[in-house]
Amino acid sequence: MQAGFEQPRTIEEATALLQKHGDAARPFAGGTDLLVQMRGGMRSPDILVDLKRIPELGQLEIGSDEIVIGAACSTASLRENAELVRLLPGLLEAAELIGSEQIQGRSSIGGNLCNASPAADSVPALVANSAVCSVAGPDGRRDVPAAEFSTGPGSTVLGSGELLVSLRVPRPAPDAGDAYLRFIPRSEMDIAVVGVGVALTLDADGTCTAARVALGAVGPTVIDATTAATALLGGPIDTAALERVSEAAREAARPIDDKRGTAAYRKHVAGVLTRRTVEIAARRAAEGN
Amino acid sequence: MSTVAIPSSLRVHCEHHEFIEVEGGSVHAVLAAVDARFPGFRAALGDSFAVAIDGEVFQDALYEPVAPESEVHFLPALAGGI
Amino acid sequence: MSEDRKFRWVGTRPIRHDGIDKVTGRAQFGADLSLPGMIWGKLLRSPHAHARIVSIDTSAAEAIDGVLAVVTATDLPDDDPKVADLARNILAREKVLYHGHAIAAVAATSAALAERALDAITVEYEVLKPVLSLEAALASGAPILDEARRPKDMEDTGPTNIAARCEFSRGEPESAFAQADVVLERSYETQMVHQGYIEPHACVVQTKEDGLIEIWCCTQGGFAVRSLTASVLGIDTSRVKVTPSEIGGGFGGKTTVYLEPVAALLSRKSGRPVKMVMTREEVFRASGPAGGAKIDLKVGATRDGRIVAGTARMWMEAGGFPGSPVQAGAMCIFSPYDFDHLFIEGFDVVLNKPKVAAYRAPGAPQVTFAIESLMDELANELEIDPIDLRLANAAKEGTQLPYGPRFKAVGMIETLEAARAHPHYAAPLGKNQGRGMAVGFWFNNGMNSSADVHLTEDGTAVVVTGNPDIGGSRASMAIMCAEELGIDVEKVRPVVADTETAGYTDVTGGSRVTFATGWAVIEASRKIASELCIRAAKIWDCDVEQVGFSEGHCLPVEGSGLDHAPLSVADIAKQMARTGGPINGQAQLNARGAGPAFATHLCDVEVDPETGKVDVVRYTAIQDVGRAIHPSYVEGQIQGGAAQGIGWALNEEYVFDEAGRLENPGFLDYRMPVASDLPMIDAVIVEVPNPTHPYGVRGVGETPIVPPLAAVANAVMAATGVRMQSLPISPPRLLERLLGAGDV
Repeated sequence: MQAGFEQPRTIEEATALLQKHGDAARPFAGGTDLLVQMRGGMRSPDILVDLKRIPELGQLEIGSDEIVIGAACSTASLRENAELVRLLPGLLEAAELIGSEQIQGRSSIGGNLCNASPAADSVPALVANSAVCSVAGPDGRRDVPAAEFSTGPGSTVLGSGELLVSLRVPRPAPDAGDAYLRFIPRSEMDIAVVGVGVALTLDADGTCTAARVALGAVGPTVIDATTAATALLGGPIDTAALERVSEAAREAARPIDDKRGTAAYRKHVAGVLTRRTVEIAARRAAEGN
Repeated sequence: MSTVAIPSSLRVHCEHHEFIEVEGGSVHAVLAAVDARFPGFRAALGDSFAVAIDGEVFQDALYEPVAPESEVHFLPALAGGI
Repeated sequence: MSEDRKFRWVGTRPIRHDGIDKVTGRAQFGADLSLPGMIWGKLLRSPHAHARIVSIDTSAAEAIDGVLAVVTATDLPDDDPKVADLARNILAREKVLYHGHAIAAVAATSAALAERALDAITVEYEVLKPVLSLEAALASGAPILDEARRPKDMEDTGPTNIAARCEFSRGEPESAFAQADVVLERSYETQMVHQGYIEPHACVVQTKEDGLIEIWCCTQGGFAVRSLTASVLGIDTSRVKVTPSEIGGGFGGKTTVYLEPVAALLSRKSGRPVKMVMTREEVFRASGPAGGAKIDLKVGATRDGRIVAGTARMWMEAGGFPGSPVQAGAMCIFSPYDFDHLFIEGFDVVLNKPKVAAYRAPGAPQVTFAIESLMDELANELEIDPIDLRLANAAKEGTQLPYGPRFKAVGMIETLEAARAHPHYAAPLGKNQGRGMAVGFWFNNGMNSSADVHLTEDGTAVVVTGNPDIGGSRASMAIMCAEELGIDVEKVRPVVADTETAGYTDVTGGSRVTFATGWAVIEASRKIASELCIRAAKIWDCDVEQVGFSEGHCLPVEGSGLDHAPLSVADIAKQMARTGGPINGQAQLNARGAGPAFATHLCDVEVDPETGKVDVVRYTAIQDVGRAIHPSYVEGQIQGGAAQGIGWALNEEYVFDEAGRLENPGFLDYRMPVASDLPMIDAVIVEVPNPTHPYGVRGVGETPIVPPLAAVANAVMAATGVRMQSLPISPPRLLERLLGAGDV
């Protein structure tokens, strides 16, 4: 486990390094996934390109329309921002589930997305909140919806020389709420058997006017469960709606059998967890009214 | 005479006796006496065994004294330690 | 005989003598030592679970610059039948018997280079069908691991994967069942689990020019490593010196050797000190876990709750080589209960999984899961309180054990009564919650121990033993020495010594150190007290019979007619030279009469009916410890054992794929409980003194892992109405039962 180390100061320098070294290079932020993979012999890059010295990757801006989270912002730094926690409690709940207290000093939401694990906790919450990824490359910038960023376990849309700069989340309206729940057999230090992110908006009558439901760990990438979201629209979040969304989530899940749970079990829990997550998001949305 | 309890797995070597009375003095002497009456018992018991004298369990105690009124149980060795 | 006396230090909680080094990170563990010129050893491991080794070609690896030694099984002698299996487990010879089985080793100037050189070794295998379950191992036509092996105590019916059989019987169980009002016949299963010690196996070994081998390693017993390494290498025991490091957990798993003989060979070939450290993955794949078990159990009882007969047949996984603890399990299963008619039969079964090692009360947790689950069902069936049912059948002084002898004083009844009196037993339960209880029994062990106590010239003392300190034993040794010498416990320095400094001592295991090694410390300290009296008699110019020793002072005995101010230990120590020279006490023993320990555990769980997740919300562990020398470390042992047992019950299991590859060789997917999974475990100490030991000590460390498997399962039953007879009670398995098969 030996590799060269580069520390670019600008996005242009970083993309040039990544393009020059191609597959031999690997972007490096907190390293909480990468270093473990290198130790385990799963990856052996020749060059690590440290992105933490690039100012744009460390920015955190809460604008009137949009929240911008630099790809290398540590989870701990997000948690310390009270306004962010108030605006996107579900996204922060998801981020806080990744690793221990110590790990969160280095881990980032951007890294969680780029690692492209089907079970990544923050991704369902990002998808539910309609996050957009700002990607920089040798040919300039492009935007990719968070829902489309991962193309399969361990793979992303990033092409040669490209890197993730930031995540842009539309600022939630006061009558919106989000939530994230995951199921693990333990209480922490584990990987999601199922993860569910939900964001929804309720009008003054309690009618659901917007909703998005994303399921983690039940497919090769996070599932943007549009049928589940549709099941919530146009009415109150009542028992019938909860039953509909639960059923739709169960149907949308496409899990496999593995050491972390059987496919049948994961489908069942996807339904249960979706109902519980919607209830929390709805409560938060109602509090904003 | 000391009383020797024969482990059930070894009774086949002792005409299915559950208990045998022998002259003893020590674990070693008791064993020799049983083996004299039922040749093959000592070999079947093997080299590593524990012994309980009046309820007190000893590991590897071939020369421990055995009183005439004592009851002796041979216990096959506890496997699985190493 | 256990003495009725007032203690000054026994039962107090001084700070452990090794504590500051451990909390500041100064303590040296297995992987911490480095020597000048040291190189790194790595093992090539089998990619197959079952295969014949056709050929091994190491020439390409040897040719790599920086590779200083390569070894295979052919570098080991093969003439000591006692260690034939051990040697083959360390380096495979004819066959590989599990995925991860070591087959060759490389030492190189860096760990990375050694790792790369492994890829240059070519092994030709004839791959065989793996045997991956007890059922598959016992099936007719099953692939046989060792064609030549024939089990003892069984009719020879040809090749078999049964390596040994044991049997215990009394009375006429089959006819006695006719006297029973209720007969329950059930089958239980547990899976292979790992001890989960935090510190992986590690060693540094230096073979010197004169052939002497020096080993620094983390182990539960330096003398065991010495003896096993010498035997495997075919050299004299005195040619091996072992210095045990601090140890980050063992639980039985560090009572054997994996790396040390290999590192010795690599060092001998290369002329360099060699360090070997297992990765976590290697620990899971190729150290010694505890085997899974299948237990068929039948118990009959009368309407008023008296057991009349019981039979048990059990099969335990030994891994690739014989040696499961099935016999210990067979001896434990009915030991808590007093009834006349029984039959127990046990089978040791080999299969293509790692060779098991000891794990905390080996064999007892598996069989106790069976009997205590059945007792719970019996209590429900008879509508008798589960504690009352156990009290009605409880073993006590004079009860004959299934394997023959009669109990001396034991605390089964006392722990049951303490459980009933505990507020936990009557506390109200919430929604989806249930309460379970179970008892547990373990023999405990005595075995061989030595102790040396050296008095210093200012009256402080050094206690030297050879037992690595796993659970706070340094503090216990110091307390017992301080108690005998009447000096402050802080003035005693307890030392864990190497095999050339300490007298022979068996492993830190079998719950024996505080009992047996502590007993040697007491004896050695008493010899010092006697010597102090001799010195005082010299100073006072009187007969030694006129001098007594009490609370750290020599003083004239009553009626001696002498009128001297008492001399303290320090007073006499200052005059050591002029009264006859150094004062040392030495004692050694093969400790008899290890008192068995009983425990009763109470467990409350809350079950999520929609996901099958079980949370332990309250847990109380009550144990007869004889006498608690240092209560904090007694409680620590009880809490630790309960935590491991809860993990065994709920989520821990080895998951193998169809080819026999372990799919979860890491703590992420081998789900031991983390701290936040458990409530504070309330450890309740009951003291029924062991009549054999001077202070009444019984072993403590193993019994606490025995009851939790059933206590948790019984609590789940109470919460859900579902009785889980197969462990672990992981969420998918429980949910399947909660919803009825087919829904999930």
